[in-house]
Amino acid sequence: MFAFVLSWLASIPTFSLPYALAALGLIISERAGVLNLAAEGLMLVGALSAVGSILSFGVDPSGSLVAAAGAAAIVSLIFAVLTILLRVNQVIVGLAMVFFCQGLTSLLGEQLNWSNRVVSALPRPYLGWLGELPIVGRILTEQDVLMFAAVPLVACVFHVLFKTNIGLRLRSVGENPEAADAMGVGVLSTRFGAVVVGSALLGLAGAYISVGSARIWVDDMTSGRGWIAIALVIFSRWRPWRALGGALLFGGIEALIPKLAASGVRLPQYLVMMTPYLATLVVMIWMAAAKRNSPPDEPGALGRPYVREERR
Amino acid sequence: MHDMTNVGKSHQSDIAPVAKKRWYRGRLSVEVRREIGGWHQAAMLAGSVLMGLILSGCILVAAGVPATSLVQEMLYSTLLDATNLRTVLFQASPLILVGLSAAIAFQVRFWNLGIEGQMIFGGLGATFVSLFDLGPDYARLPLMALAAILAGTAWAVLPTLLKLKLNVNEIISTLLLNYVALDLLFHLVYGAWKDPKDGFPHSALYRASELLPVLASGISSALVIAAFATATLAYLTIWSRAGIYMRFIEANPSVARAVGIPVQRVILVVVLLSGALASLAGFVIVSGQEGRLTQSFFRGYGVSGVLIGFLARNNPIAAAAVAMLMGVLFVAGQNLQVFYSIPQAMVQLIQALIVICVASSDFLIRHRVSWVR
Repeated sequence: MFAFVLSWLASIPTFSLPYALAALGLIISERAGVLNLAAEGLMLVGALSAVGSILSFGVDPSGSLVAAAGAAAIVSLIFAVLTILLRVNQVIVGLAMVFFCQGLTSLLGEQLNWSNRVVSALPRPYLGWLGELPIVGRILTEQDVLMFAAVPLVACVFHVLFKTNIGLRLRSVGENPEAADAMGVGVLSTRFGAVVVGSALLGLAGAYISVGSARIWVDDMTSGRGWIAIALVIFSRWRPWRALGGALLFGGIEALIPKLAASGVRLPQYLVMMTPYLATLVVMIWMAAAKRNSPPDEPGALGRPYVREERR
Repeated sequence: MHDMTNVGKSHQSDIAPVAKKRWYRGRLSVEVRREIGGWHQAAMLAGSVLMGLILSGCILVAAGVPATSLVQEMLYSTLLDATNLRTVLFQASPLILVGLSAAIAFQVRFWNLGIEGQMIFGGLGATFVSLFDLGPDYARLPLMALAAILAGTAWAVLPTLLKLKLNVNEIISTLLLNYVALDLLFHLVYGAWKDPKDGFPHSALYRASELLPVLASGISSALVIAAFATATLAYLTIWSRAGIYMRFIEANPSVARAVGIPVQRVILVVVLLSGALASLAGFVIVSGQEGRLTQSFFRGYGVSGVLIGFLARNNPIAAAAVAMLMGVLFVAGQNLQVFYSIPQAMVQLIQALIVICVASSDFLIRHRVSWVR
């Protein structure tokens, strides 16, 4: 039992990190008022380009993370131009982008022969005495470089969003773009920046799924994690630290599945695979029921394109 | 393009004296149009669809399809060849049904992205009747259709109630439920419902009495079902009182509530109707095309439905027409797959490109863009 719990705990970070990174990226763009439903697609782009950069360009695994973030940021420019400059409905563009990215990654993966080929793992840092601690050490030594960047990254996003001028401007654009515009904040440029930076984090999340944990590219391999991350942002009430907590919760549930299978418990495989989706649904229902009578805490202008010349 | 950030400053610069001469002399001016002309709109739409097709063509050429055979493959051999035309009609009926399903839900501002899940449940319901030999032979097909509709509609109840009672985002809930439905389908076709004859993950073949009959050459009864559904929905949304209610809710839900329209009830009924149409599409595929429950019979239809609904601007008759064109795309995609080993994902990519182009043409329809000196 103890060994089971220990190996489960040690595997939680691997499952949680994609959620944490994706939720962080989504918080940045949603705080600026842009609902980035393209998350699932951008994660796929990140996942494929990380694997592709290793296989075809000989980039080392850590470098592939940069490639993934860059690729997702570039693809997100299409989304940004359409929703921010051309003021198209964010939901329809987000969905179309997901379909676009699914088709594109599947096509490229097959044409460039990047699917089903194993890539080398991310490096694990040497921890010294930390790795020799009784239980914590066992968990820590199984983590790779990106994992150790996660907590500083959350702290950094929190600091920028809530303690700096840039963050104040970003949130004002998402809360009330008319007021922000009147105060001289560039609404369109701020939103553009938020979407691109947020999408880079989504690409990173995708890269961790392919290069970090699976070490392989398979069609549609994010399998709905982008949507779960969007639900996670609602659960976190658009706060970075709460998002990290939620990611650990969702990752913990997902990490149970392979551990239960490995421990020899006979369970119907496909029914068990439903749990992350059902758990997400339950959390969403619980959140909705709990705050039914409290004021909404989502950014005031979320999902609304800003049209300066529109009459109100 | 970078001057787009200065959108709307035109009224200032009219009064202010020209302080400095910029090197490009002039700027892009964007105004919101008060009135939108029908011809202008039609021209923009046609242009954007053409743009999407050109972009897709470029991708296909980059993927290794010779440019000369592209037109041949896309137009000539799909539309002018009798066999392929029959395939298009064959392919179109489930597309029409999913398109209608999406269009009607969008009319009450409900994003039903659970079409694939509802299709899966439709397939499960129909196969349940077949596997357990329910009812006599002559009533088998109606029973299967009924079971399909009941199962698929039931699957749509939860997200609808969650949206209406607790305001849970239906985009996320319907998408999550798709994954749950998919896992249930896998559980059955890899387990209890696996074909005992060959052991592959699909159900046993349906009997002859459980297959949708072909009426005349190329006209399957599925097409009749789709045509009937289109006519019914056109009546409902355009001429009936329910249609007026729906348009009212689409325009402004709170005013609709204030004048006494039963908003919640209308939304519930419409979304359940949308679920019923999606499950009917599932039934049409398993019973009219595959002849059994397979593990991927629904693939791509959820995406297509949403995109058809969007392109048709939620109009049922337009949805049927767009679905026919999507059918051409599907068949052309299959041909490309066979002859040039282009993956089926290409069809999805082309659909998405067309939708992105059409969506962005909306900007040019609603705004007047001009170069001001």
